[in-house]
Amino acid sequence: MKHAFYLGCLIPAREFSYEVSVRKVLPALGVELVNMEGTNCCAPFSIQSLDYASWMALAARNLCIAEEMGLDILTLCNDCYESLLMVNTILKEKPEVKDQVNEVLSEVGKEFKGTIDVKHMVDVLYDDVGVDKIKDAVSEPFKGLKVATQPGCHLTKPKRIHFGAVRGFRALDELVRATGAESIEYDRKEMCCGGPLRGVNDEFARQVARLKLINIKNAGVQCIVTVCPFCYVELDLGQLEIKRHFKEEYNLPVLHFAELLRMAMGMKLEDWEIKSHKIPLNQVLKGRL
Amino acid sequence: MEQPAVLIIGGGISGIQASLDLASRGIKVYLVEKSPSIGGRMAQLDKTFPTMDCSICILAPKMIDCAHHPNVQLLTYSEVKEVKGAVGNFVVKVLKKPRYVDETKCTGCGICADHCPAEVPNEFDEKLGMRKAIYMPFPQAVPRVVTVDKENCLECGLCEKVCGAKAVNLEQQPEEIELNVGSIIVATGFDLFDPSEIPVYGYGRYKDVITAMELERLLCASGPTGGHLIRPSDGKIPKSIAFIQCVGSRDRRGWIGNAYCSSICCKYAVKDAVLVREHIPDARVSIFYIDLRAFGRGFQEFLNRAKTEYGIRFVRSSPGEIVEDPVTKSLTLWYEDTATRSIQNLMFDLVVLCAALIPRRDVKDLAKVLGIEVDQYGFLKASGAITHPVDTTVPGIFASGYCLGPKTGDVPDSIMQGSAAASRVAEVIAGRV
Amino acid sequence: MSSLDSDFMHEVANTPRGRGVLTCIQCGRCSSSCPVARLTTEHNPRRLMEMIILGLRSEILPTQLPWYCLSCFTCLDRCPQGGDVGEAMFAIRNLAVREGNVPEGIVIQARSLIDTGRVVNPTRMALLEREKLGLDKGPSTATEDVQKILKRTKLDKKIGRR
Repeated sequence: MKHAFYLGCLIPAREFSYEVSVRKVLPALGVELVNMEGTNCCAPFSIQSLDYASWMALAARNLCIAEEMGLDILTLCNDCYESLLMVNTILKEKPEVKDQVNEVLSEVGKEFKGTIDVKHMVDVLYDDVGVDKIKDAVSEPFKGLKVATQPGCHLTKPKRIHFGAVRGFRALDELVRATGAESIEYDRKEMCCGGPLRGVNDEFARQVARLKLINIKNAGVQCIVTVCPFCYVELDLGQLEIKRHFKEEYNLPVLHFAELLRMAMGMKLEDWEIKSHKIPLNQVLKGRL
Repeated sequence: MEQPAVLIIGGGISGIQASLDLASRGIKVYLVEKSPSIGGRMAQLDKTFPTMDCSICILAPKMIDCAHHPNVQLLTYSEVKEVKGAVGNFVVKVLKKPRYVDETKCTGCGICADHCPAEVPNEFDEKLGMRKAIYMPFPQAVPRVVTVDKENCLECGLCEKVCGAKAVNLEQQPEEIELNVGSIIVATGFDLFDPSEIPVYGYGRYKDVITAMELERLLCASGPTGGHLIRPSDGKIPKSIAFIQCVGSRDRRGWIGNAYCSSICCKYAVKDAVLVREHIPDARVSIFYIDLRAFGRGFQEFLNRAKTEYGIRFVRSSPGEIVEDPVTKSLTLWYEDTATRSIQNLMFDLVVLCAALIPRRDVKDLAKVLGIEVDQYGFLKASGAITHPVDTTVPGIFASGYCLGPKTGDVPDSIMQGSAAASRVAEVIAGRV
Repeated sequence: MSSLDSDFMHEVANTPRGRGVLTCIQCGRCSSSCPVARLTTEHNPRRLMEMIILGLRSEILPTQLPWYCLSCFTCLDRCPQGGDVGEAMFAIRNLAVREGNVPEGIVIQARSLIDTGRVVNPTRMALLEREKLGLDKGPSTATEDVQKILKRTKLDKKIGRR
């Protein structure tokens, strides 16, 4: 299984521990990641709010690069996933929009043909690799670890586009179970982390994150597992902000799913990766670090 | 020459009506019913709107007429497996599933069930109560004989031992019966949309979120609680009950629910709300709706009485989600009252989901066997939606009741269509299709 | 009392992603589900649709109203009319942007996009760290191409950059 590896902006800028874990875990499961050259920003919802044509063209340019490589895109970020998947779907379904976008893309020598698919790491792990193969690769399962998964809004919604792809967030629950950990149900699991309002309305972003954390805490879990760098920042660094503003502590370490899987497959996290987590991991994962 | 017989598939009120209409004309009727007893959905209901008649009380006499009529042959616990031929001369293979009980000997005394050690969730009670592996589906069942659910039977043989009539026969084999009929009527009725497909309403996770059919069983004196309306979670009497309309109906999302309006949910919600208030006079009852569809005879008046005499609150809002308190099991409903325009939440002891009515889940297979067309929802297609509403797309095969779709629905309509289909069959027999 | 713009609903309906405003039946399921609507009475997706239908253009486009939305798609997923109503939020924002109403936080992202091809760039420290870890510099950005595209779609004019 070869995929065009689309990293987006946030991960190379700030969250390389997610990238490092993925580069260690996916090839070991038979997924080859081929770097994409010359990609641009996927145009997430903030840019989509500005202008439709710009969004379409920017996202489509990345799709063209993958088409030239002849490979499906694999992305690690929910927002990149949502943007690229939606544009890919719309351009495949609506020839009039495709023609307009290709007109813009001709400026940079690209043409969208609609020959590839866009997948999130969760899609690839669940559909292509499969839970059974992952269970086999897990040598040190996390027995007894109670996890709250944060699938994130853009992994599973809008359902009419994502439905075939990820079967709601049940896929992520099963993947977590494959590592030996328990995925605990909590109220309003599909609720947003608050991230999109960062920079626009920090106060509400914080309050939404806080609502999310309250629901997670009430479920009695030990840590949170995310698959999106935005959710990760919002819930990890966000807890420090919430401590400052609301004087409340949740002490819920946040892990990238790739990190959880990496440890379950017998690899240890490096010091710098452990330190990059703002809520310390050692209370919950002592002995595994 | 002997008149050709008729096959009627489905022993609900619609099929029963058609059977009686035809039988009384001297026409031989084979009434095939998949479950152990005829009666269908109406037998499960507590009361019917807007007259609030006891449902089984008006149904049972018709069921008994069917059983005793010399021209009606009941083939219960049976399924149609193959149909060949054409109008005037269909050859039908019916599989009579073994009930492991001799129908001619069983007196319906029920002593076997008293002794049976195996307990299984009771489908007739929408799985809210239990039945035994050898069971009478409900007290007024026709035919009044028990059935052995072999899948859950422990094969202990106790029933055989205690049966005074020596009616139990655990070696009984399925029987294939061949019928020669001139025409067929399909009257298979409906199933309910499964609300667990909408996870945010909590059906399946929260015990006190139930469907309207489950509520009917709780209200019904022959139900799992003897007609006492209690919360499934803790058995306490609910003091606040919410009804949510359009669960799976009027849903254009495509990946869930159906776009049509099921046409009777507003009616049955108001009926059930009134029944709830009669059972628990100090209960706070609210109906959350998008539109209130109160058409037809007597219904708007009934709705007005529900508001003024029974104090039922009508809130124009489609709720977003339901959350259960893990300790008290109280259900919090989030909604925006579009009249006052305030987003709020309200706690309820019990939430009733008025789920959409969908075609019986196995009707698509039956349609294949019969060679008739169904629409995108699985409802049977009429050969002429306006001019031939009870004819299917195969001449000689007619249909009646909810299997034709939601333009019908409440009991009088199903009875009317049963008679209409019977009348069409009479034309076949008279030689004109 | 502001003036009603009877063309506004159709203006939105004809903006990309805005078609859904024509099918809204004001059932209130979106507002019952919205996480932000529970934090403030300022934000209410159903009411916003109502305002569009009524033609209250001047009470929407120049205000904060389009900018509370999380784009979490909860409303869209639950809308019985097929969800296009949630998409209309994007159409409203596109229109608001054209009238010069953009939050500063997004202008910063747009400026970064126009200048560097990315909304977020690794700092020099981050680049050094990546090198140390043996990770590549991150996929090279195609700044030139992005600028060509955005010039063609006139993004900088639309966000009113000087």
